[in-house]
Amino acid sequence: MVNMNTSALGIIFPNSYDALVPDLVNVRLMASIPFASRYRLIDFILSSMTQCGIDNISVMVNNNYHSLMDHLDSGREWDLVRKNGGLHIFPPFAEKAAKPYTGRVGALANILDFLRDEREKYVVITDTNIVVNFDFNAMIRRHIESGADVTVAYNQQELPESLMRSQSNDQGYYYTFGIEDGRITKIYVNAKDPGVQNFSMNIFVVERELLIDLINTAFVRGQEFFERDVLLPRLNKMNIQAYKHEGYIARICDMKSYFDENMKLLDEYNLDSLFSGHQIYTKIRDDNPTRYIEGAKAQNVMVADGCVIEGEVENSILFRGVRIAKGAKVKNCILMQDTVVEAGANVEYLIMDKNVTITAGKEMKGTGTFPVYIGKFQTV
Amino acid sequence: MAKEMIAMLLAGGQGSRLYALTEKLAKPAVPFGGKYRIIDFPLSNCVNSGIDTVGILTQYQPLVLNEYIGNGQPWDLDRLYGGVHVLPPYQKASGSDWYKGTANAIYQNISFIERYDPQYVIILSGDQICKQDYSDFLKFHKEKNAEFSVAVMEVPWEEASRFGLMVTDKDDRIVEFQEKPKNPKSNLASMGIYIFNWDILKRYLEEDEADPNSENDFGNNIIPNLLRDNRRMYAHHFNGYWKDVGTISSLWEANMEILDPEHSGINLFDEDWKIYSRNSGMTGHKISAGAVVENSMITDGCRIKGTVKHSILFSGVRVEKGAVIEDAVVMGGTVVKAGAVVKHCIVAENVTIGENAVVGAMPSGDENGVATVGDGVIIGDNAKIGPRAMVNKNVEGGEEEW
Repeated sequence: MVNMNTSALGIIFPNSYDALVPDLVNVRLMASIPFASRYRLIDFILSSMTQCGIDNISVMVNNNYHSLMDHLDSGREWDLVRKNGGLHIFPPFAEKAAKPYTGRVGALANILDFLRDEREKYVVITDTNIVVNFDFNAMIRRHIESGADVTVAYNQQELPESLMRSQSNDQGYYYTFGIEDGRITKIYVNAKDPGVQNFSMNIFVVERELLIDLINTAFVRGQEFFERDVLLPRLNKMNIQAYKHEGYIARICDMKSYFDENMKLLDEYNLDSLFSGHQIYTKIRDDNPTRYIEGAKAQNVMVADGCVIEGEVENSILFRGVRIAKGAKVKNCILMQDTVVEAGANVEYLIMDKNVTITAGKEMKGTGTFPVYIGKFQTV
Repeated sequence: MAKEMIAMLLAGGQGSRLYALTEKLAKPAVPFGGKYRIIDFPLSNCVNSGIDTVGILTQYQPLVLNEYIGNGQPWDLDRLYGGVHVLPPYQKASGSDWYKGTANAIYQNISFIERYDPQYVIILSGDQICKQDYSDFLKFHKEKNAEFSVAVMEVPWEEASRFGLMVTDKDDRIVEFQEKPKNPKSNLASMGIYIFNWDILKRYLEEDEADPNSENDFGNNIIPNLLRDNRRMYAHHFNGYWKDVGTISSLWEANMEILDPEHSGINLFDEDWKIYSRNSGMTGHKISAGAVVENSMITDGCRIKGTVKHSILFSGVRVEKGAVIEDAVVMGGTVVKAGAVVKHCIVAENVTIGENAVVGAMPSGDENGVATVGDGVIIGDNAKIGPRAMVNKNVEGGEEEW
């Protein structure tokens, strides 16, 4: 075949790490959290995959997934309406004997028949709490060259404070690696070590046939977590390679990091770093261009289409369809889709979820270390 | 299954009066209003009115237009039966011909129309900015039991002689048609939007084709022939926003009117009558600290570090520090470098305006020209483009063009 696509299929876990941002996932899941003025978190992984030629993608939705279904629709915006492959959404299979799954093993066990029927040689597995313009082809090439059984992507950074503080495992597991000559020799679960760590990005490349075997075995034994129960015990038996990601990365680990990672994109160096690779696709809303009316003042802002700005806005991220009325002041805020700041209102350090309204003359302020979140459809 | 009404959109015009803007693309593909192209307006009107079958008649520089229309998905016109079809002239067993006129273009596609067996056909024009509900128009056509209806606008009497005018009786029935007359008897200007009963249209197209002296034009031939035969012809009054954007100055004006929807009447913020377009897919626009943006429309992908006043910026425009843009229409992908001054002009797509270059000027005295810079042109540093210039070739640094 001409221009043969990458021989890999993609599997995305959109609910991973939901527990880290309970407010934001109250009415949605990690994958559909709005980010960078017009995207949802899943857009970055999805667009990276399709533009690397991965066009057979399964999304393993578990709960709260209406918003994601609405966002993905048929998959057309990502060029995923395909006769062969395309977008598959796999909700949990409702059956008397089936209990809800908590880890990747249960989810993948549900689709083993599907995996057996596919033809791609490799499988790429990811979460969505990481915003990254990722070159899957480079990682697959490295996987093949190194002769690995499994390759896992990581980056080097300090562990976020919120993960360090957490005393229980209720919010799920995160992983750091000990690496020797590119091979992962240690996997630490929920480590609290200070300093720069080899922090797993939970992006895996594995041969499809091997994945089927591993999942089969683990599921029969009642195991849940791919990293903890499947990879960790096999560090000696299997060649598990680490793939270092050097490019731009934004991790959503809590409300603070959600706020900070959005704000970081106001620096054009960061913005260009994130968007200079693959084009990132998202759902089209057909908004008109944003209108700045006489008296509007905008400084250091990123703004999507469909906004009408009459007031003052500074150091902020505005999603589609935001209205800032005359005399209103908005500073250091994230305003999601269709939020309204009425005349004379004065807000600072707020994260306003979709369709929030701040009524005329109100004053409301969070702080840089503690931005205040206002839930969807609330009126202040 | 028959369709009640299908649309035929005349998009073959060269748009020679738009000169530098239409060298490489057909007039309906000319960008408009920050993120649209002119053709988005009739196409969106069709979809919003419930018309799901549109034939687009093209022959001049169709490549950009063809790619833009694609399968019609952005306008929801990717349909199993119907949808949007681009119709260039094609070779038939009996020979082939360019479209000789507006009527001939439809005549050559009679077999396309018959595939849908419509009762009515609406003829649209691809060079107007207008939000119109064609279902209202069809309702009027049916109520009057008309065989032909034309959408008309009241224009000021002193301008009437520039238009094709419909003289009507009390019941809106057309009794006379005057094409750009010296002494107008009416101020009802034809908008060039017609609804025909298909059987009538077909009969008159065939008659017109058989006439070797005909110009094969709706205004000059078909409408006079209908009048000659005393057909039931009615004028449907339209009083929304309508603008023919066939000239540089009217195109510039129509863009500027978007900035003032409260007074000009074109409101793109209408949730119930969206104008659809093919999306650029760029990130949100970025306005840096120190930039000034006043009374303007800005869309995705723009990066603004300079000053933008009363202007329309299309997707991906970059305005560097110290650059000033005022009363200007700047199309997608254009870069305005540091210190450049761009005023009262139209700059086409992917233009580079060098450092400290000057393009156009605010009106003063009798001089109110709209400077125009064509697609992909590079204007060198310190170059100067006068307010009446039409630039379609690169201008070297320091040179002047008037």
